[in-house]
Amino acid sequence: MAELTSFSFRSGTSLLHRLDVRFKLLFLILISLISLSGDFPRLGIFTCLLTVLIINSRLPLKSGLKGLQFFLILLLLILGARMVTTPGDPIIEIKFFSITRQGILSGVLICWRLTIIVLLGFAFIFSTRSFEIKAAVEWVLKPFAFIPGKRIATMMGLTTRFVPVILNQANETAEAQRARCVENRKNPVYRLIRLGIPLIRRTFERADKLAVAMEARCYNENRTDPELSATRIDWMALVVMILICGLVVSI
Amino acid sequence: MYIIEIENLSHRFEDGTLGLDRISLQIREGAFVVVAGPNGSGKTTLIRHLNGLLLPTVGAVRLAGVSVQHDLLRARRLVGMMFQDADSQIVGETVYEDVAFGPENLQLDRNQISKRVKQTLIAVGLTDFADQSPHLLSGGEKRRLAIAGILAMEPKVIAFDEPFASLDYPGVKQVLKQILSLHQSGHTILVITHDLEKVIAHADRLIIMQKGQIVRDGLPAEIVNAVETFGVRAPCASLLGMEVRSWLN
Repeated sequence: MAELTSFSFRSGTSLLHRLDVRFKLLFLILISLISLSGDFPRLGIFTCLLTVLIINSRLPLKSGLKGLQFFLILLLLILGARMVTTPGDPIIEIKFFSITRQGILSGVLICWRLTIIVLLGFAFIFSTRSFEIKAAVEWVLKPFAFIPGKRIATMMGLTTRFVPVILNQANETAEAQRARCVENRKNPVYRLIRLGIPLIRRTFERADKLAVAMEARCYNENRTDPELSATRIDWMALVVMILICGLVVSI
Repeated sequence: MYIIEIENLSHRFEDGTLGLDRISLQIREGAFVVVAGPNGSGKTTLIRHLNGLLLPTVGAVRLAGVSVQHDLLRARRLVGMMFQDADSQIVGETVYEDVAFGPENLQLDRNQISKRVKQTLIAVGLTDFADQSPHLLSGGEKRRLAIAGILAMEPKVIAFDEPFASLDYPGVKQVLKQILSLHQSGHTILVITHDLEKVIAHADRLIIMQKGQIVRDGLPAEIVNAVETFGVRAPCASLLGMEVRSWLN
């Protein structure tokens, strides 16, 4: 079976791979927040930083973009909508629509911001093992006694683990129905119900089996804590990141 | 010494169906036992009592002299269980994580966990797959991963529920080799199956179940010819009057 998506962890020794997940999460949040309100010079600095990280970590941008095709369509739609709805100096006028200079600038700015955030997320997932993300979530939620951090982390892990299994199941059920000429039924609601009900039933059955299997392996919430350790590189990266963010904000 | 002692065990399900009916059984440490019977004969219900996933309605189950009900955690450490559907048993997002799941539940420290996971992955031949997602493994590899998940908890008894179901020939051989190697290393093995062909050559005891009762219990060679009376297909070789040979030869 092929890999489900290019948005998954690949082992490596780059700077991003070596950074502690908590620092990476902090950097991701910081850059995303600043980018959301950033203008062209600010986004330019972040793009340079992102380019260095992408080259250093050998992020498979080509296959990533293939997986992002629907996101790219969304960007085009946003750009188009901005171009024709933002008032300003018209560049091209077609009947009721006019494409404005301000619209193009505003559309490009929004698309650029979103691209930076999505690429950051891609780099984060590409360089971080899922158990590290789980461990970071557990660590972040630890001070909040009323939130069951360990349970949430386990649920996150199980969701990631079972998404491919459920997708396979959906595929198998759909194929079995196609083999019995379900395509002759033109009503999409009928087809959705016929696919959905057995799929949900099988998913619940699987969840039941999973719960028994976890019980057999002594599952409880007092488990060994995940191991997270910050090194000198992480602290140095934090200082550099604070300097870059300070520079960007002060522009 | 008996590692498993079952005394007058009956189990009635919530809907009133009788799953097990007055079963008494002792299994020696290091034995290789095959439990066979048609669907619904109570095989899976029986093994689920060994580590307290099901509790007796009547009777008792003891592991090395201690009642299962008395200490469920001990029972689950002593008896590892491999379920029929390996996909539903694998909980980790990577092979390494899945093997570490049991030791983490036992609250071992990180060094011990790492040591156990590495040793176990070597034992089942999955070291090269440590960082891989389990859904990318083949059927046989998934079964071996499920075995690794159990082995990392260092059980004394391992119960396999239909370990060869929907495996191809190489997959069956891989899993069978693994089971034999576990037996050789001193584990007590219980294999639940309705397909005797693949495993009976290695067993030292055969138990046949029907309608929640044990209807035959003895040496495989002595009772294998009678199994068809109870809805279990006898191995081809025995039907032809020949000696049943291992699938590994």
